[in-house]
Amino acid sequence: MTVPYHLAQAEKEQLLLEKLNELTAWHKMNCEPYRRMLEKSKLQISANHIEEIPYLPVQLFKLMDLKSVPQEEIVKVLTSSGTTGQQVSKIYLDKETSIVQTKTLVEVMKPILGGKRLPMIILDTKSVLKDRKSFSARGAGILGFSNFGRKHFYALNDDMTLDVEGLQTYLKEYEGQRILLFGFTFMIWQYIYKKIRDKDIALHFANSVLIHGGGWKKLKDEAVDARTFNRLLQEQLGIQEVHNYYGMVEQVGSIFVECSEGYLHAPSYADVIIRDTITFKPVAVGEQGLIQVVSELPKSYPGHSLLTEDLGTVHGIDDCPCGWKGKYFSVAGRIPKAELRGCSDTFQGGGQG
Amino acid sequence: MKLFWPLQKSFNEALDDLQKTPTNRPFDKHIIPFTQALSKRFVHMRQQPEIVALGYWLRKANIKQMQEEFERQHGDSFVRARGTVFHIAPSNVDTIFVYSWMLSLLAGNRNILRISSKEQNGLNVLLQVILEEFVKPEFESIARQTLICTYGHEEQATEQISAVCHTRVIWGGDATVEAIRRIPLAPLANELAFPDRFSLATLNSDVVASLEDGELAALVERFYNDVFWFDQMACSSPRLVIWTGKQQTEAKAHFWSALDKVIKSKQYELFAATQVLKYTTALQLAVEEQVSHISSDIYYSRVQFEHIEPNVREVHCGGGLFYEYDVENLMDASSIICDKDQTLAYFGIEKQELQAFIEAVSSRGLDRIVPIGQALDFDGAWDGQSFLTSFTRKVVMR
Repeated sequence: MTVPYHLAQAEKEQLLLEKLNELTAWHKMNCEPYRRMLEKSKLQISANHIEEIPYLPVQLFKLMDLKSVPQEEIVKVLTSSGTTGQQVSKIYLDKETSIVQTKTLVEVMKPILGGKRLPMIILDTKSVLKDRKSFSARGAGILGFSNFGRKHFYALNDDMTLDVEGLQTYLKEYEGQRILLFGFTFMIWQYIYKKIRDKDIALHFANSVLIHGGGWKKLKDEAVDARTFNRLLQEQLGIQEVHNYYGMVEQVGSIFVECSEGYLHAPSYADVIIRDTITFKPVAVGEQGLIQVVSELPKSYPGHSLLTEDLGTVHGIDDCPCGWKGKYFSVAGRIPKAELRGCSDTFQGGGQG
Repeated sequence: MKLFWPLQKSFNEALDDLQKTPTNRPFDKHIIPFTQALSKRFVHMRQQPEIVALGYWLRKANIKQMQEEFERQHGDSFVRARGTVFHIAPSNVDTIFVYSWMLSLLAGNRNILRISSKEQNGLNVLLQVILEEFVKPEFESIARQTLICTYGHEEQATEQISAVCHTRVIWGGDATVEAIRRIPLAPLANELAFPDRFSLATLNSDVVASLEDGELAALVERFYNDVFWFDQMACSSPRLVIWTGKQQTEAKAHFWSALDKVIKSKQYELFAATQVLKYTTALQLAVEEQVSHISSDIYYSRVQFEHIEPNVREVHCGGGLFYEYDVENLMDASSIICDKDQTLAYFGIEKQELQAFIEAVSSRGLDRIVPIGQALDFDGAWDGQSFLTSFTRKVVMR
């Protein structure tokens, strides 16, 4: 059995339900805004089923600071990667939540990467890590995944150009060994793949495994889907094994990794529930809807049950050909922006004239 | 810069030529056939009830009535068009700015319209109709008095037009008003600005609770039109409901379940993003001290307030989110009205009570008090300003 993908759904839900109920009660006691939200909307505090756990929309973390521990216990603040002008989420981690986050990430990735640290190339620039107390989603991801590697090498210079020479030397040094490549989908596409393709640079990452995430939003404009991405990376760079992952800064512990069959899986301490986009009622297996994510990790902030703005489909439960148990699913992208009418040109943010 | 009208001219050429055309007398007889022609076409566009309403407003009888009113007001005094009126339309071209444009036309002015650059590709259906009428020989002189264009924020056209116009009309909310006001206006010109507003409804719970099913259905149908024609994003769509009287609990149960039925029967289209936004906003408000409880249904979310601060108006997201506030007498709510509040749509409340209420309001708030069902109706005065007065000038002659 492959830990942490070994639990059958029924058993997993039983265990998760208990922990999630505890978390709801904990946050209600320790986070005043959360308490008010639950009480004033008469939401159930103790759920009988995992689908009844109250959920907060991910957007709320952009609108307010939510934490369940005193400010002095905060050791890390994660922020989402909003484009300029957008509000970003702020996620407050204390020591405990931060440690379990690191630990679970190791467990999630172990079935793919094994127990040994691999030589690691980070397909990004080192400058995203500058501020050690406040991390962007990119910084947090890199730092988290760095634990799986050794001899870390950053493929991009600070000005986003490719360090071709450095890469060639690195690849030569570790020739024949399994190398871990890590980066963000769009960064890899824009600054690695395209550069190498356009300049016809000879680089071969044979016998390497690529882990990437961050979403397909920007790649959609270029009509690049997961399949095309994998194929082109293999053709151009010789990368044999590619695993996408789905996760968000707002929920630590929810890292869903692609299995050998190309499906995302939920580890034992997290799960997804797909909801109807209009009624928010859970939908059947095979139907697309809004993704709700739950995780037993977030203790320093009330993020154990979140409604995302992503669309996804659960394809099956406990019967993925890869052998991993639980739900397996895919993500189709973001819900389209609201196009409400009205007389004003400024939408969110108040009355119109 | 893209010029929709006139055809085959450069912007500078078109602007020069426009300035050379003479203005008309208010309600000149050759303007009426044009508004009538538009009226005939608009009333058939049944897919968009707000355009049909514009069509009815433009029909001959209504224009005649406006004319009589205008002439009665001005008696023997000498009233002339101002000259060139520059209309800056909101990004989602909404019928309301067409009303002000039509009034400017009836006042006898030359008109320049700046349409949002977002409209460049799919030209608004209203403008499409207007352009089709412009090419008809009988409307040639009106067409020559009109310029319709679009351009990006980076272009200097706003400065250029502002320097030569006689009236500037800004639609589009606080940000637009602020940005345009930084651009100098010709010294002699006047300006009408339409910033963000917030609107309310008030219902007498005792009356609502006693309504027969049919009466209730008619009431919520009217309320539906006020709210959902523009996805609750029009400045005059009610967002806050003040319940007066003593039977709030029964009245609300009645009213909201009836509204639910109407929304369903209208097959009002819901969007995932709006659903998430409504849920998020309701939860965000739940944190506020002033909120006592929230509920999220499929078609609408409700937020019950114990008192109301001006700030909650800024978080409202539209799409079917209702703030509710209970008082015994309407007078008790006079202190919550702030400058931003525009329309109060009422039901079951006596005229006298409404008058006393308006007099008790000490802020700048409330420019329209209308029965529920007429929140979106346009009547020549908006945000406290009369268009025909602003679009004309009085010549003193002794």
